[in-house]
Amino acid sequence: MSADTVRRQRPASFWVRRCLLYLLLAVVALGFVGPFVLLLSTAMKPETQSVYGFPPSIVPLPPVFDWFVDAWTLIPFARMLLNSVLYVVITIPLYLLVSAMTAWPLARMRFRGRGVFFILFLSLMFMPAEIMLVPRFLVMSQLDLTDSYTAVILVALLSSLGVFLLRQTFAEMPGEIIEAARIDGANEWGIFWRIALPITKPTMAVLAILGFISVWNSFIWPLVVLTTQDKFPIALGIAYLTGVTGTDMRGLAAGTVMSLVPVIAIFIVLQRRILSSMGGAVKG
Amino acid sequence: MTDHLGPVLGGKPAPPSAETAADRRKRRRARRRPGAPRGSRVTQGRWYTPYLFMLPGLVLFAIIFAWPVVLALQMSVSSYDIISPPTFVGLENFERLLVDPRFHHALTNSLLFLVLYTPLAVVVPLFLALLVNLKVPGIQSFRVAYFLPVVTSMVAVAVAWRFLLNQAGVVNWLLSLVGLGPVDFLLDTSWALPTVVAIEGWKNMGFYMMIYLAALQGIPREHLESATLDGASGLQRLRHIIVPALMPFFAVTLTLGMLEAMKNFETVYIMTRGGPQDATLTLGYYIWHLAFERSQMGYANTVGIFMWVLMIGFALLNLTVTRRKD
Repeated sequence: MSADTVRRQRPASFWVRRCLLYLLLAVVALGFVGPFVLLLSTAMKPETQSVYGFPPSIVPLPPVFDWFVDAWTLIPFARMLLNSVLYVVITIPLYLLVSAMTAWPLARMRFRGRGVFFILFLSLMFMPAEIMLVPRFLVMSQLDLTDSYTAVILVALLSSLGVFLLRQTFAEMPGEIIEAARIDGANEWGIFWRIALPITKPTMAVLAILGFISVWNSFIWPLVVLTTQDKFPIALGIAYLTGVTGTDMRGLAAGTVMSLVPVIAIFIVLQRRILSSMGGAVKG
Repeated sequence: MTDHLGPVLGGKPAPPSAETAADRRKRRRARRRPGAPRGSRVTQGRWYTPYLFMLPGLVLFAIIFAWPVVLALQMSVSSYDIISPPTFVGLENFERLLVDPRFHHALTNSLLFLVLYTPLAVVVPLFLALLVNLKVPGIQSFRVAYFLPVVTSMVAVAVAWRFLLNQAGVVNWLLSLVGLGPVDFLLDTSWALPTVVAIEGWKNMGFYMMIYLAALQGIPREHLESATLDGASGLQRLRHIIVPALMPFFAVTLTLGMLEAMKNFETVYIMTRGGPQDATLTLGYYIWHLAFERSQMGYANTVGIFMWVLMIGFALLNLTVTRRKD
């Protein structure tokens, strides 16, 4: 039976059910996407149109783009965007390298204290940022690193997730490849750099994406350790913009929308990879 | 929020080959001599090669973890205002914990946060997952939509919601349609905490949904099909096949949810700054307030250590409860 005949034979109740289903899916989706859509529409509303009111006006008539310019000039917006880009570009490669170098011996070498080291790196996760804020701030002031780019970057370079996932990937590698490389005369670093690292590309991609999202959105730690506006990442910039714009929702909305564009764009482009890797990581 | 996932999640995405990761592990384990560590080969470099590899990781570990923990312990028995050097005060800070009414209030709020947040992390996302597990055209875009708040920053979420929750905002408009409100969600002392919890829950739901979705896709389809043929209704399938199969994943979402609920500083700081009248003062916010607004670094660290012990307690409790079920 061809697919066409099957479709024709479906009863009317099937289509009713399917319509109701899409309706339900759409209503829930509105609950998750709606707030951002409203934010975008507010950012484009002319001064003559109220941003509040019953019933709320959704479509900006006519749409204006002045508020984006306002937000851009009210705070050093470009500078903060650039900072966020810098934080991501410096942090992510180093984070991947450090995680891989830490995970490699834990997965494939035998040495004294291996179990202890593994538990040490895992224990990172039981220390939530809240509790570490104050002592980390104290360490940074002892190192004379407060209000520096270095302080922001250092803290993002090591996570138990990175070490754990990469160790898992290395452990799954077939040993024969390593053996062959060794026979060909590769040293330990060569094996790691030329054989092991390329194999982890899919895991690295997942970690890079998750790392990008978390560095781009990072707020608490920069808030604590930075005092100079010119070093703020954009998420912190938005909090700062809140104070500058006062009650003007339009400018604030415009700034917020601009801060979200890069991360949402990357998410939409890579959504399949992100969502399936999240699921895959859990399934193990 | 993905940072603390490591040990709870089981590893990398499923390999493309027919042989599953578990099979491969089993095969390797069988070949290994008993007691020998995982990984197939002994290092052939010098004895210090593994330590050299781990050196950058260990240095970072010392700077952002070990040293701060030592300092936190040291400060918890000191009085320190950043300006003058710390002085040793013994257990004074811990005694203060016992009699500090704001600390008790913050603890109550944190526990209340936990109680209100857990269902948002464990139950509601299950229904979202069931919804996006349906095999209908275009379902991927709904997954993307439900996941969207997870990738955005809390600041952006806060801006959007403060706008929506305004007295003349959309939420109050919806309430007025059914003859309720208006409610001043973030300024009313009885509404502020539930509102902050709801927003935190809303932001993270997509994340828990993906955990459940992965679990649901792991349930063999034959089980569900044969149940349908035997005349099981949707609810019966949910109760007798889906929920039992998801049991281990409830443990995951519960643990992550509880950790997440305790780590609410960012949300509270951005939405309410602990107010109105301490209505959303939680342990995380109280630590910040003591350290950076009142310059009581020592006492702030004492509260931090209390919170840490509390979280480890919850994690252990979770482990024992879920172990017993197995």
